[in-house]
Amino acid sequence: MSDGFELRGLAERVQYPNLSQFERPNVVTTTVDFIFSWARSHSVFPFTYGLACCAIEMLSSGFARYDIARFGMEVFRPTPRQCDLMIVAGTVNEKMAPVLKRLYEQMSEPKWVMAMGACATSGGPFYDCYNVVNGVDKLVPVDVYVPGCPPRPEALFQGLLELQKKIQAMRIVPPVPAAATPADNATPAGEAPAAPSAAAGGAADAAKVQG
Amino acid sequence: MLPAIGGAGLSIDEVAARLAAALGADLRDPRVQEPDTVVATVERGRLHDVAVRLRGLDGLAYESCNFVAAVDYVNRFETVYHLYSFASNTYLELHVDVPRAQPVVATVSDVWPAADWHEREAWDMMGIRFEGHPDLRRILLKDDWVGHPLRKDYVDSVENHPHV
Repeated sequence: MSDGFELRGLAERVQYPNLSQFERPNVVTTTVDFIFSWARSHSVFPFTYGLACCAIEMLSSGFARYDIARFGMEVFRPTPRQCDLMIVAGTVNEKMAPVLKRLYEQMSEPKWVMAMGACATSGGPFYDCYNVVNGVDKLVPVDVYVPGCPPRPEALFQGLLELQKKIQAMRIVPPVPAAATPADNATPAGEAPAAPSAAAGGAADAAKVQG
Repeated sequence: MLPAIGGAGLSIDEVAARLAAALGADLRDPRVQEPDTVVATVERGRLHDVAVRLRGLDGLAYESCNFVAAVDYVNRFETVYHLYSFASNTYLELHVDVPRAQPVVATVSDVWPAADWHEREAWDMMGIRFEGHPDLRRILLKDDWVGHPLRKDYVDSVENHPHV
């Protein structure tokens, strides 16, 4: 201590903004869209759909060295019911095509598809092969294409980050129709802002219950 | 050349000689091709009989069928049977000519059950029918595939690609 060196805790070194406001029960305001897209894009459940050598890179992405858990996407599921991202990792052939389509249809909405590698994108080196589907986009809509043969885990992560951007751009709150903007929402003179609509809504609900 | 091999203590030349003696004219042109492999040709109509006799050969029983293959030589087909004898530790390769106009050959799946799926694959890829096979369906391609893709004259059909 005499030489001026002082051992200090983390809380002292890092300046968190306005920590004092969380010291008692409080509220945080945000938009529904923001909180939902933030949660969705950081907790994607991929479907274990390894068909060829790309699956090895996909596995590698899951292990400690590359660690897909950094993006919150480590929960690989073997059933389509619990997944929202289908990473098609490998060659899709004609016999697998109807299976892939059915599994995609069994996934719950919202769902996304990533074509990983040259085969899933376009057929790749097997483009002219008699039994190969030339790209998984012939079967299901694809959100992100990851080039490579096979792509490295870094490339897969790049694709996942692009997918996160796409998910975050989604809106779950329907946009206000153009006709219903300011003029319609303007309060009639002399009335309290929320009263008429609340009363009307209540009456409508009551009528519905009675009916 | 390897010296005497296998439990029977037979050299490969002795194996070839014993095969020729046991099967006579049914085994055409038996010859030693590898240190442990005898190659021979079999008449199409005699295949099943030869298979039964090879399987039960005393001291030299070819009890294992490693694979059944089919080859397209454009003017004819050929089916190839790769057999193994535990007793003598030797292989026997049978070649059967199959005419292109009538690509039918007797099944050996009742002699060696391992041949079952191999014959299905030969049917799937090369269109060779194995008479007497218990369940001759396609094994790799989908059931409604048109054509046999490993034939030299195969032309892909649009029906095989409904998603394009």
